[in-house]
Amino acid sequence: MIDTNKTTAAIVARCQELFDDLEFGSAREWKEAGPNRRVVAYMPIYVPRELIHAAGMLPLGILGGGENLEVIHGDAYYQSYICRIPRSTLELGVTGRLDFVDGFLFPSICDVIRNLSGIWKLLFPKVYVRYFDVPQNFDDEIGGRYYVQELTELREGLERLGGVRVTDEALRASTALYNENRRLIRELYAVRAEAPWLAPTSEVYLLLRAGMVLPVEEHSQLLRDYLAAVRAAPRPRRDNCRVVLNGVFCEQPPLNLIKAIEMSGCYVVDDDFTLVNRWLLDDVPLAGDPLRNLASAFLHRSAETSAKYQPDEAKKGKFLVDSVRSNGAEGVIFAAPSFCDPALLDRPMLESALDRVDVPHIGFKYAENSAQMQPVREQAGTFADSIKLWSAP
Amino acid sequence: MTITAGIDVGTGCVKVALFEVGEGTPRWLGRAAERVRQRDPYRLAEDAYDGVLREAGLKRSDVAYVATTGDGENLEFHTGHFYSMTTHARGGVFLDPSTRAVLDVGALHGRAIRTDERGKVLGYKMTSQCASGSGQFLENIARYLGIAQDEIGALSVQGQNPEKVSSICAVLAETDVINMVSRGISAANILKGIHVSMAQRLAALLKGVGAFDGTVLVTGGLALDAGLVRALEEAAAEGRMRVEVKSHPDSMFAGAIGAALWGGFRHQKLQARAQLAIAS
Repeated sequence: MIDTNKTTAAIVARCQELFDDLEFGSAREWKEAGPNRRVVAYMPIYVPRELIHAAGMLPLGILGGGENLEVIHGDAYYQSYICRIPRSTLELGVTGRLDFVDGFLFPSICDVIRNLSGIWKLLFPKVYVRYFDVPQNFDDEIGGRYYVQELTELREGLERLGGVRVTDEALRASTALYNENRRLIRELYAVRAEAPWLAPTSEVYLLLRAGMVLPVEEHSQLLRDYLAAVRAAPRPRRDNCRVVLNGVFCEQPPLNLIKAIEMSGCYVVDDDFTLVNRWLLDDVPLAGDPLRNLASAFLHRSAETSAKYQPDEAKKGKFLVDSVRSNGAEGVIFAAPSFCDPALLDRPMLESALDRVDVPHIGFKYAENSAQMQPVREQAGTFADSIKLWSAP
Repeated sequence: MTITAGIDVGTGCVKVALFEVGEGTPRWLGRAAERVRQRDPYRLAEDAYDGVLREAGLKRSDVAYVATTGDGENLEFHTGHFYSMTTHARGGVFLDPSTRAVLDVGALHGRAIRTDERGKVLGYKMTSQCASGSGQFLENIARYLGIAQDEIGALSVQGQNPEKVSSICAVLAETDVINMVSRGISAANILKGIHVSMAQRLAALLKGVGAFDGTVLVTGGLALDAGLVRALEEAAAEGRMRVEVKSHPDSMFAGAIGAALWGGFRHQKLQARAQLAIAS
């Protein structure tokens, strides 16, 4: 007997509902379900959500306002040559959509997001706001010590916010839950890379976005249900080419852009959406000092993306080339938000790395509210054709 | 031998072509073209496809690769999809092997595609979003003038003193036409004027892709419009292009033909890799 609530369509519909909800109803409900519950929001790309969870709080990923939010007030705070995510995030704030949020973490990704942390402090003085910096040095004794101190300060800040102690035991328990969540996401990505027709990226993306607003326990169950559902319901395999999508780690592309790429004849077999889920590449050890373990994972077992400083020029792009090879991709589509410094400054170096190993690539830009998809379809479609027809036999 | 099908879902018309491919020249087994006329194009495409199979005495399971083009990527039973310039280039070379550039003029867009002898796209340019260079615009004007579509070409070639219309904006162009009617300009000269405007715009696209010589095959829904083909010849001569503008009785099937043939090519490639996609 099939549980109709656990079919692919039902799970995706639930995720779509969460994705469309700019009032963050599920997070509000979570907060109202118990006394003294706190919600701590965070922006892309990476924050240690284990710490927030261990403090008994709900980590809430804010990835801008998307394509359906009209930005009116947000434009007043930034110049026209700045990307859209800080404007739409401000719009969410000043229109009261985030009035239930008790804390907001702005991780180090670029100057725009760092400045947004300052604006947030001025606009919302009652909210616990922290610019969460990360090391650019990957030596345990230098960057590691710095990062442990950063984590310690965050832990203390959360303790003050919640009036609770974040014990090592609680942190280990939370780390175990996030290890499981990351393992399920790795499994989802492996299924998609193996048989992308079973798990379209437009669905995978919605599942990842659900993880931004749901408690980790609920999200892990959703992932288990989806994995079971896709394995139980075969879908036709199309003759599409296999591509890696790169550059979509901060301001998110409109869902229609992902659909347009897929409709153009591309199977996305790897991507860098919502990297908070896949920043740490494997399980964080549970034995020992939990903060040191988180720091060590960040330094030595995290994704080499545009958001992470790579001091060795010879290694620049290796992570992407490895992804192309290990996922059997035939090309790379670079899609970056307009004015995104981390993605656009890295792109020439990544393109060079691909050129050296003869991997074809194309690139275009978008904003989270881009509506005209015809150019994307045209570029991705002709790219897919060229790979399918003219690549080596 | 391998059976492949190409389905071209256009804005105004759905075309289906069925082929047998293998060693030697592909054999064209069947075809169908259905004007959309406010019907569901996907339902129409499916019915047309089934009709072509029936006439050829074949079943869906006999087809190794169903390739779509145009807006056909939403057809549930397709194996693979190819973009329009890819398929029109291949279809153009199939219809006339001397083809080195294709002008695909359909209901909404005009495209210039430069190709090599294999049908590989070497470059392309298309009209911008405005519909004034398109078949839909021409169809609207013909309706205002009370002229049947298949009379457009014959009337246009009679025009001796064409008045050019705006080639940039369909709204301005329609205003131009209204003014001409009120000034008593004949339908032949109005239509010729529209064709001249469209041809100049399309000739600029051809130049843009570097198609200065060789055969240019007109494909798409307007390929059989003798007035447009004549105007294109004149525009090419005016622009000192050494091209021979041609049409073919089956030009409107170029997209579907190209899709079917690329589908066959792709099927063989996948077969060699033991990675066949699942058709229908």
